[in-house]
Amino acid sequence: MKEVLRLEHIQKYYGNKGNITKAIDDISFQVGKSEFIGIMGASGSGKTTLLNCISTIDTVSAGHIYLDGTDVTEIKEKKLAGFRRKNLGFIFQDFNLLDTLTLGENIAMALTINHVPAGEVEGHVQEMAEKLNIADVLSKFPYQVSGGQKQRCACARAMVTHPQLILADEPTGALDSHSASMLLETLRGMNESMGATILMVTHDAFTASYAKRILVLKDGRIFTELRRGQDGRKQFFGRILDVMAMLGGDLSDVR
Amino acid sequence: MYAKLILRNARRSVKDYLVYVITLTLCVAMFYAFLSITSSFYKPDIGVEFDLAIVNGGMKLAITAITLLLLFLIQYVNQYMLRRRMKEFALQTMMGMEQRTTACMFFAETLVMGLFALAAGIAAGAVLSQFITAMLLSSYGKEYVFSWTLFPDTVLLTVGFFVLCFALAGFFNVRTIRRTKIIDMLRADRENEENFRKSRWMPGIVLLYLLMLCVMVYTGVTKAYYYYDVRYAFVVKLMFLGNILAPALSILLMAVWWLKRKHRDFIRLCQILFPALFPVAFFAAMVPGCQSAYYLPLGDGTRNSYMMFLTGVMAFLICDVIYLANSVITGWKEKSAEHRYHEESLFFYGQIQSKLKTGTKTMMLISLTLAVSVSLFVMVPALVGWSMGFLKQRAVYDVQVFSSYSQVYEKEKLPSENYEEITEYLAECELRIVEDCLFSLYLPREEEFHNRYKYDFPVLAISLTDYNQLCRMRGEEEIALAENEFALQWQSIATGEVEEEFVREHQRVMTDAGELVLAEDGSYRALLGETLYNSYTDVIYIFPDRICGNLLAVNRNRYILTASPVAYDAAIKLEELFQKWYMTDREEKSARYYIRTRSEQMSSTTGSIFVMKASMTYAAVVLLVSCFTILSLQQLSQADQFGYRFGVLKKLGVDEERIDRLVVKQLVFWFGLPVLAAVVVSAIAMIYFFTSISAQIDAYIGAAALAEQVAAILSILVTLTVCYFAATWVLFRRSIRSSF
Repeated sequence: MKEVLRLEHIQKYYGNKGNITKAIDDISFQVGKSEFIGIMGASGSGKTTLLNCISTIDTVSAGHIYLDGTDVTEIKEKKLAGFRRKNLGFIFQDFNLLDTLTLGENIAMALTINHVPAGEVEGHVQEMAEKLNIADVLSKFPYQVSGGQKQRCACARAMVTHPQLILADEPTGALDSHSASMLLETLRGMNESMGATILMVTHDAFTASYAKRILVLKDGRIFTELRRGQDGRKQFFGRILDVMAMLGGDLSDVR
Repeated sequence: MYAKLILRNARRSVKDYLVYVITLTLCVAMFYAFLSITSSFYKPDIGVEFDLAIVNGGMKLAITAITLLLLFLIQYVNQYMLRRRMKEFALQTMMGMEQRTTACMFFAETLVMGLFALAAGIAAGAVLSQFITAMLLSSYGKEYVFSWTLFPDTVLLTVGFFVLCFALAGFFNVRTIRRTKIIDMLRADRENEENFRKSRWMPGIVLLYLLMLCVMVYTGVTKAYYYYDVRYAFVVKLMFLGNILAPALSILLMAVWWLKRKHRDFIRLCQILFPALFPVAFFAAMVPGCQSAYYLPLGDGTRNSYMMFLTGVMAFLICDVIYLANSVITGWKEKSAEHRYHEESLFFYGQIQSKLKTGTKTMMLISLTLAVSVSLFVMVPALVGWSMGFLKQRAVYDVQVFSSYSQVYEKEKLPSENYEEITEYLAECELRIVEDCLFSLYLPREEEFHNRYKYDFPVLAISLTDYNQLCRMRGEEEIALAENEFALQWQSIATGEVEEEFVREHQRVMTDAGELVLAEDGSYRALLGETLYNSYTDVIYIFPDRICGNLLAVNRNRYILTASPVAYDAAIKLEELFQKWYMTDREEKSARYYIRTRSEQMSSTTGSIFVMKASMTYAAVVLLVSCFTILSLQQLSQADQFGYRFGVLKKLGVDEERIDRLVVKQLVFWFGLPVLAAVVVSAIAMIYFFTSISAQIDAYIGAAALAEQVAAILSILVTLTVCYFAATWVLFRRSIRSSF
């Protein structure tokens, strides 16, 4: 399996001498092509910081992040935006759709800022919308559609440029359970049939159970790694819950 | 604790509403500066022949009335602040603070901000008043001398007025806060201006326009009988016909739209009306021009109503353009994928369209106000130059006495006075007469005595000796005539074409004492005052003395130059006495006598010109800065919303340079659309205004001098616009950066 993302001994500190908070404390892992990986952990475990570092919004204190062979920690500030634009797709908890544009235009926006020829934009948008089942609401504004549709639009926007890696930050956080499972099915479909590489951050065990591999963080370190293997989603969900229970207990229970 | 909270909030608000505070400071400064000259402590050296009382009364009233416009701005900004802070108030109320306390705290906060502006404004006003003094002294033709003072009565008046304004605005705010339910407070920031497409504003405006068109058609029809008058030129007929047909066409278009019920799309109606309003405006604009060119007996009422129609059409033009802006952008966007999908243009269009959807009403009002403001600005130099120039040509002698024979029907009752009482009065006042010219004006032919139709008054004649004496008094060159020659003296208002035509037609003149020939180059334009000419004429014949001796003298004038200026009070007294000496019964068919003194003319006219100049400038500035403040605040107050949108863009991978470019583009559009609409409309209005008074401009100001002044004013306007734009841009960028 081709490697898309590799993290080597990432560290991220906040504060100054004598009062250092280690948000990320030496994390290393790899993500292969077409993988669907979940990052789990309680609040303050460092999962959002990790995502911010990978997405180049934040810088690391030490270590290297390679995306498709390029060390993103070495990229100059000026070129970061372009790099993000070409290689990364984002799905956020609060959708981050532009309220001034229709769903279709929101998806098209991702293409136009990547300088896709104007004549091809509509075709790509239509194609992606059909795959994600939002083709009939493309001309509506975000406030006119449901949360699930909004989030699927956000997925389409992230996918339409075919980025190396899709970063999803609590994608189901603002959705009801039905919409959430529909969205997760969508993400799975994107991963399985379109071969998208997805890195999803969540604190919710049910959401995480859709991933194929899960890294559980605690206090800035990788606490454990779960692989779904041949298990069904429900069994995997059970295993995640077990780990969660352990996380909630005393550290000595685990060691 | 409360005091601390108030001060901290005020400090934060000053940052948010910097533009508003600066505008307020500017307005306080101007208010103080203009009022300072009405202070009882203000004693500039403008000479005995002037009286400042006229300025004082007029100024106080004008400035205060104009400043009331500021109330709207204060109220608008307060409401804006209120809406943005409602959530905070809700939180305070839920924590247990009484709504009354919350309201009072908000009031105290705005008051602190206002008082800050007031203090800064008065300090700036003291500096600015020096400029006003310079402006005043130059109006009266005196040198500027620096005199630094802070007038207690003006300070008191300024503080009183503005505190009253703040209190009034505060009172409404307190009432609003106390009456709002917590749940509505929580939701307040979600409310926006209503969607203009759905509101009844534009249909209301169109309805008003329809009513005006109906009145236009009616007015046109009532004047239609002129159309059948064969004496009028084709242009006049076209004008009468156009003023019926053009508005009728617009009404017809509306009717057709109404009847096609299936496709009754309101935007379509606005699109149809747009091209149709140009002929309406064109024909309405022709009325005053044709009236003065062809002496149409339409009367001032009709002319003024057509000017009103024209203003109405212009106002509708602004509203229509802004209303249609949205559909034009949509059309442009939909036209081709190239327009739509070019880099971040989708985002740009989205920003503009969402704003246009909700902000159209404000934008229309701002455009209209800006158009008024720019027109006022540009009109000031023309009007001031006109009146000053007119005054210079009018008040050319210290005392002018003249008579009019227009009510005299018997030759025995024609005047033959020597006005000796004036000589005595001047001696009494110890004013030495330097030059004195008592002369008659003659009718070339006695049979013309009874010509009393408006356009058929005979041109009078003056004898060569009298003419030369007047020239000497005015320092003009004297002229000479051969035995059987005559010359012409023109009033400066007469145009070159009129002069040429008259000269062509009057190469020879038949008089009761024989025929005269026009001397070579015998057409003069000495500045001899305006009381020399017969009613409705701009020219006078200069005849050899021998001829005049045999003609009928109809008017008797006396022009006096004194060694020192006549004091203002003495001049007023002389005028009153003169009224007594030469008072004639209105009913009586005898000569009318008039007196003009330079002091009275200069003082009253200069005073009222100054009031006009100062108040128009002040009004224009107040309107302009109010508009820009609102434009700017509209953008800045939504910075959190914009911050989110630009934040999304950044997350999508758009670099900051391009985001900055987008910000500039958006601000340029938001400032540019109302400014452009206002500039186009006021440019049309001003071109029209300048052409309609082109004769006066040539006579009293000079086109080059006027152009120079207008250019100076325009450059000031551009600078102001750029300043407000730049300030908004910097603050906007800062606030969206901070929300990334």
